[in-house]
Amino acid sequence: MEQKPISRRTFLKDMCLVAGSTMLASSPWFSAFAEEKNTSGEKARIAVIGPGSRGRYHMKNLAANPKVEIVAICDDYQPSIDEALKIAPKAKVYKDYRKMLEDKNIQGVVVATPLHEHRRMVIDSFDAGKHVLCEKSITKTLEDTLAVYKAHKACDRVLYIGQQRLFDPRYIKAIEMIESGVFGPIEGIKTFWHRNNDWRRPVPSPELERKINWRLYEDYSLGMMTELACHQVQVGSWALKLLPNTIMGSGSITFWNDGREVYDNVSVLYVYDNGLKMSFDSIISSKFYGLEEQIMGNKGTVEPEKGKYYFESVPPASGMMQMMNDIEKSVFGAIPFAGPSWVPETANVNKGEYLIGEKPTEDGSSIMMDAFVESVITGYQPPKLVEEGYYATTLSILGHQAMKEQRIITYPDEYKIDYLNHKAPAAETV
Amino acid sequence: MKDTIITIKRKKTELYTLVAAVIVAYGLNIYSIAAYDTPWRELYTEIPWVLLWGIGIYILWTILRICFCGIVSLFKRK
Repeated sequence: MEQKPISRRTFLKDMCLVAGSTMLASSPWFSAFAEEKNTSGEKARIAVIGPGSRGRYHMKNLAANPKVEIVAICDDYQPSIDEALKIAPKAKVYKDYRKMLEDKNIQGVVVATPLHEHRRMVIDSFDAGKHVLCEKSITKTLEDTLAVYKAHKACDRVLYIGQQRLFDPRYIKAIEMIESGVFGPIEGIKTFWHRNNDWRRPVPSPELERKINWRLYEDYSLGMMTELACHQVQVGSWALKLLPNTIMGSGSITFWNDGREVYDNVSVLYVYDNGLKMSFDSIISSKFYGLEEQIMGNKGTVEPEKGKYYFESVPPASGMMQMMNDIEKSVFGAIPFAGPSWVPETANVNKGEYLIGEKPTEDGSSIMMDAFVESVITGYQPPKLVEEGYYATTLSILGHQAMKEQRIITYPDEYKIDYLNHKAPAAETV
Repeated sequence: MKDTIITIKRKKTELYTLVAAVIVAYGLNIYSIAAYDTPWRELYTEIPWVLLWGIGIYILWTILRICFCGIVSLFKRK
């Protein structure tokens, strides 16, 4: 059955933000919208640190929200500043984020810089009394990620992590269906993100190589793990309500031998205590299979990226169709040049059903930004949001570590926090 | 080319033949439901296919009749 695409507003309206909603149970961060009507006359004054391509994407979503005033941007790369000012012409421009944070007018900060900058920028923002949306991954080391988490827990400021799948209507519907049990027990998750490009951006002069193509160098990023896997492994904890304790993997540079330091071909396996497994594969020199998270249950499989689900048992074709098929086979079956069948196949092809609409028009980013704006206005921290982001980051980092050290890694106790099946070490509980 | 007259008898014959063809098709539907162990709701969900099969059987039957009549008339002329 085909359905029409669903708009963000329609979806939010249909989500029935009322007590007892199953949607809120599976995606509690949507409680950020609880006061949406009461905040209609208010403005959130937001600044953006790092208005590069992703930062400007967020700025466009912010600019489309009537409750937002983009009051400042901060960058030290003039082309990014020039582009950002086209979106927010009245924004004050800073080169030093610490100067920007002194501006009492700013309520919330979006951090969209390379990963190695996140820790100090997020913590300094908290110290300056700002609410923060930090792009994923939170940082590129376990230590820094835990430091950000603890800093957040120690203050009363809001923290969002840029895991937009948490706000994507397709994923929300998929998780709701998983929790309802229609797919039976989930038996495994296969995630993959394949591309066929070098992941490079044009560099105007050689000295800017690392500044612009920071994703390719280990001082700034862990490559596909922190940039791609981070999105997908987060779906595992959301869908399974479990965190893995064993991580193994293999990574290599097989195609893009262009001086980069991060792998272009990775395969990581996360093993849960109950034996379930979640895999992440990425090859950026072959894109046929694209990206997907295949969440496989005993009764059905859901592919939220595609926006479809498939039940294991497909209803058979009607008796008439089967009879026609048998007659055709008995008459033409032995003729090798008969060509394609002129009657429908005996078994129905499992084309699946759409979760919410044929063409996804929303990847969750704009809803996430709207939720952040609501939180900046109300000061409300939605539950579980930071924890989901924390584990998405740490699992990505550990996946990289497993590949780098070529060994099976057990999730280190010192970096566990109280979430799902993980417990923070007693002395370290925050 | 000359005018032709379709008699009432012919019209009735064709109508009865078509109805009979649809009934045969419906019978095949019942048979296939039983033979392939499919849901009995196909008695009504498959009606479009039954009608299509009925027309098909009618056309097939008509071709056979035309061929038979042609052969018979050939022998009569001799």
